[in-house]
Amino acid sequence: MTIQTVGVVGSGTMGSGIAQTCVQHGFRVLLYDLNDAIVQKAFTQIKKRLNRLVEKGKMEEQTFQDSISRIETCTDLSLMKACDLVIEAVPEKINIKKEIFQALDEHCPEQTILTTNTSSFSVTEIASVTKTGERVAGLHFFNPVPLMPLVEIVRGVKTSEDTLKKLAQFVSSLHKDPVVCEDTPGFIVNRIARPFYNEALKIAGERLAKPEQIDRIMKKAGRFKMGPFELQDLIGIDVNFSTTETVYNSFFGEERFRPHYLQQRMVQSGKLGRKAGEGYYRYEN
Amino acid sequence: MKTKSFAVKVAGEGSLADSIIAQLRETGHQLEDQSAVHSNFDIVIETTNLDIDQKKKLLVEIEKTLPKETVILSTCLGVTATETASWLQHPERLVGFAAFFPWEDCELVELAPALQTEKENVEKAKQFFEEVGKEVEVVEDGVGLVFPRILSLIINEAAFALTEGVASAEDIDKAMMKGTNYPMGPLRWADHIGIDDVYAVLAGLFKETGEDRYRPAPFIKKMVYAKWFGKKTGRGFYQYD
Repeated sequence: MTIQTVGVVGSGTMGSGIAQTCVQHGFRVLLYDLNDAIVQKAFTQIKKRLNRLVEKGKMEEQTFQDSISRIETCTDLSLMKACDLVIEAVPEKINIKKEIFQALDEHCPEQTILTTNTSSFSVTEIASVTKTGERVAGLHFFNPVPLMPLVEIVRGVKTSEDTLKKLAQFVSSLHKDPVVCEDTPGFIVNRIARPFYNEALKIAGERLAKPEQIDRIMKKAGRFKMGPFELQDLIGIDVNFSTTETVYNSFFGEERFRPHYLQQRMVQSGKLGRKAGEGYYRYEN
Repeated sequence: MKTKSFAVKVAGEGSLADSIIAQLRETGHQLEDQSAVHSNFDIVIETTNLDIDQKKKLLVEIEKTLPKETVILSTCLGVTATETASWLQHPERLVGFAAFFPWEDCELVELAPALQTEKENVEKAKQFFEEVGKEVEVVEDGVGLVFPRILSLIINEAAFALTEGVASAEDIDKAMMKGTNYPMGPLRWADHIGIDDVYAVLAGLFKETGEDRYRPAPFIKKMVYAKWFGKKTGRGFYQYD
């Protein structure tokens, strides 16, 4: 069986980014959300983004027409039975995810692969509500999905080799780079990147250097594209703090991941970064 | 080649010394090797990181040959500048600095005065680094200063993840480059810098603070015992021909 139709459950930033990337690479997409207004809005956004590619001369008009004709929307989860692969990208609430996987497991034929885009939960826990867990895996995309080349394929305790193999092929056909990793907190990127932010915060907290100095040093001595503070401002300090908290708690309070109170104060103050007009730096407009 | 105003001696172990010497030669500095006995230096650069006892012995020996005006620039990767200064007859001459190999790749050098350092010596150190084409950022004294401290912890986490079987070394490196735009994968980066210097930072932070957060990954420690220092010894996280 080759994957032709992809179901995307959840039409937020990640879900619509995943749907867009799939149709751009020739897959049919069934995009689901709770009600028609939400899912139609997401569809309109996807059309707008693809249309921008046409305006910039990065996409042919015909390719645009073909791409959007491959998207269908729905508000009935049982329709996912027509898909070869389902990617769940709903908000990070474990109970919602479990309900969805239980329903998908009931409705979808055996050969349908079921994946979650979670970055916070154990894939094994989500898979535990399905009959065998063999066809369930993590498929972790990075934001913004159309631009970021990496996808982490997460092996739950019961995920089959066949499922992983098919997912690796699927990711390659999106012209992205797959890496397979075990079901461990933060997977690869969100775990190993923690000290970039956390240790920078600790150094600033110890008043050894100012955030602007740390950013300059990491760019000019370390060749990072962005410093840890300007990158938090871009990502959203609240989003970054919550990732750190999740990884810290998932490792049962391992000291290497302990969040810093300075970052919590930023969240509490509402200085969340660029989206709030102010974070560690001030932004005009 | 314009005339340079400092006479410099470079001493110490680690990858950094050779790459500093190479760049100073290129920029036309008056250089002396470690064995030179005469004392006509404005600046001595000392770069031992892994063996702190050796670092101490070397600095005490060198200082005996120097007039008291000579500024000593010593790496504070595994030890604070303040502790390093405490070994000297004239602690006010010591200025700490931090950089990772390869020297020619860093546009910027971090300087840190010890508590004992005299201000004019920081200025002299700054002037010297700017003269050899580096930007300078003066920060407070602490083991590993900023960049070596943060990068060593990233490498440590990558080593923990590797030994826990989270993913292969290649996939860990690929993930960090493609998933979060790192200029190099952390494991290959460690091999380039030298595992000895990365370990020096981790062990130094762990010793200085006693915090478990800085505990070196057991695999990195084993690599140091086995002299798997990375590219320069042919073996690190990867193998080299």
